[in-house]
Amino acid sequence: MSTIQLRLGPSGVGFVLPLGLVMLLAFNIPVVLMLAWGFTSPKGVLVPWIDMVERTVYLRVLVNTFRIALIATLTCALLGYPLAYWLCCLKGRARMIGLALVVLPFWVSILVRTYAWIVVLGNNGVVNRSLLGLGLVEEPLAILYNELGVIIGTTNVLLPFLVLPLFAAMVRIDRRLLMAAAGLGAGPWTVFRRVFLPLTLPALAAGAILVFILTLGFFITPAILGGGRVPMIANMIDMLINRLPRWELAAALSTVLLVATFVCYALYLRIGRAAQPS
Amino acid sequence: MMGEPPWVRRLVAALGAAVLVFLCLPIIIVVPMSFSSASSLEFPPPGLSLRWYEAFFGDPRWLEAAGTSLALAALASSLALVLGTIAAYGLVRGRFRGRPLVELNFMAPLILPQIITGVALYIFFARIGLLGSFAGLVIGHTVLAVPYTVLVMTVAIRAFDRDIERAAHSLGATWPVMAWRVLVPNLMPSAAAAWIFAFIISFDEVIVTIFLAGAHETIPKRMFNELVLQVNPTITAIATLLIGISVVTVLAVTTLARRAGLLAKIAD
Repeated sequence: MSTIQLRLGPSGVGFVLPLGLVMLLAFNIPVVLMLAWGFTSPKGVLVPWIDMVERTVYLRVLVNTFRIALIATLTCALLGYPLAYWLCCLKGRARMIGLALVVLPFWVSILVRTYAWIVVLGNNGVVNRSLLGLGLVEEPLAILYNELGVIIGTTNVLLPFLVLPLFAAMVRIDRRLLMAAAGLGAGPWTVFRRVFLPLTLPALAAGAILVFILTLGFFITPAILGGGRVPMIANMIDMLINRLPRWELAAALSTVLLVATFVCYALYLRIGRAAQPS
Repeated sequence: MMGEPPWVRRLVAALGAAVLVFLCLPIIIVVPMSFSSASSLEFPPPGLSLRWYEAFFGDPRWLEAAGTSLALAALASSLALVLGTIAAYGLVRGRFRGRPLVELNFMAPLILPQIITGVALYIFFARIGLLGSFAGLVIGHTVLAVPYTVLVMTVAIRAFDRDIERAAHSLGATWPVMAWRVLVPNLMPSAAAAWIFAFIISFDEVIVTIFLAGAHETIPKRMFNELVLQVNPTITAIATLLIGISVVTVLAVTTLARRAGLLAKIAD
């Protein structure tokens, strides 16, 4: 054993220390202090919490956020499953290109992807002008700056998070299982429903929870596509810090978001472990 | 896959392709828009011009924001890479109690909604006087980039045969010599990929930046503030430039990752 290893300890804990220290000072302590801030209101320890429950506006935003997250998650699942299945059916170069197109948006700034939806969904946007041109509607549909716009934008941004793990799970399925089921007389629909679908459910659930967690904390898309009319938790927190200065209430709301995130994440880890056969 | 009738196969293909188009629609829309001659959001553009690129390159405030973004991303990703690589070595080779917990702690900024990290650092920095400083921004971005560098470097070090390290030791190399002559050259492709990852994360970051930046302007912060207030087609030109940079980076990372065999290792 060399000198450095002796000095850093045979356990190797010394290697982890520099980053550990930085994280402690620049992440752990700030987060703990923020959580504490929710209980240190000068007016009384529980005042921000009572405010949060009594003022219906905060409860409404919380319920609204969970509802939008649920709808976006379901939409992602409905759109993501056929896409993952199709990619799984493709072979060779076509599959590589398809996967690359799923991954590409990951690399494009979320601002850019959100901005494009203003062009597509606005009153003078592609969708409305096509509908007006075809005479299907009398006046532009209100798709932008409301909940529908936020859900469309959110689904678009988060879809890859569901498609990629789902695709990975589908590829891993042993094709001989499907053949065996068919050989025992099951039709294609029965094979799908009784064999293929159950085998992909853990990955689907894990991906869906991931999308749900990410939507709960979404800030940019609701701020831009909601036009200030679709407040979600994160936008509320931003307002409480930057406009109203009510830090203790922002800290209390952040605590709620943090707890919700951790509960969902624990669920995600448990389901993810079930999805891995090993 | 399971002997579906042809019409089902065609239906699945049509659905899958439609969802793929939906996924890529923003990119398909924004690029042509950036060459539009109109200041309205008309698609397809009524005429072609480079006026939005001129508006970007002719505006010193946008260029200054670009400079801040680049410097910030370069500093934060380098810090995150150095700290993350050393920590990843300890996580993979070390045998100490609480290792999974330490690893989870390093991943936490990725799991936690960024708004929480933003608020926590805002309140903390306001108390210690770092709010609105460039140093504060670098610290915030480093924390956000750490999960990516730790993740990539952990995979890379785990895949590196420990016997090669032992061989260097048995031939008389001290630990620093071994690290410099054996570990660094072998981990270089993965480190480059991790650095690029971290750089992009920092370069695109909006939320924590809005909270911490004060008077500092980055490209995403300016874009966000403009988007909330009004629609400015200059943003399409920046977006197209960013997409171009992203595509080039993805190609670079895939090449690096293939050289490092990283994709196969992650798949394992």
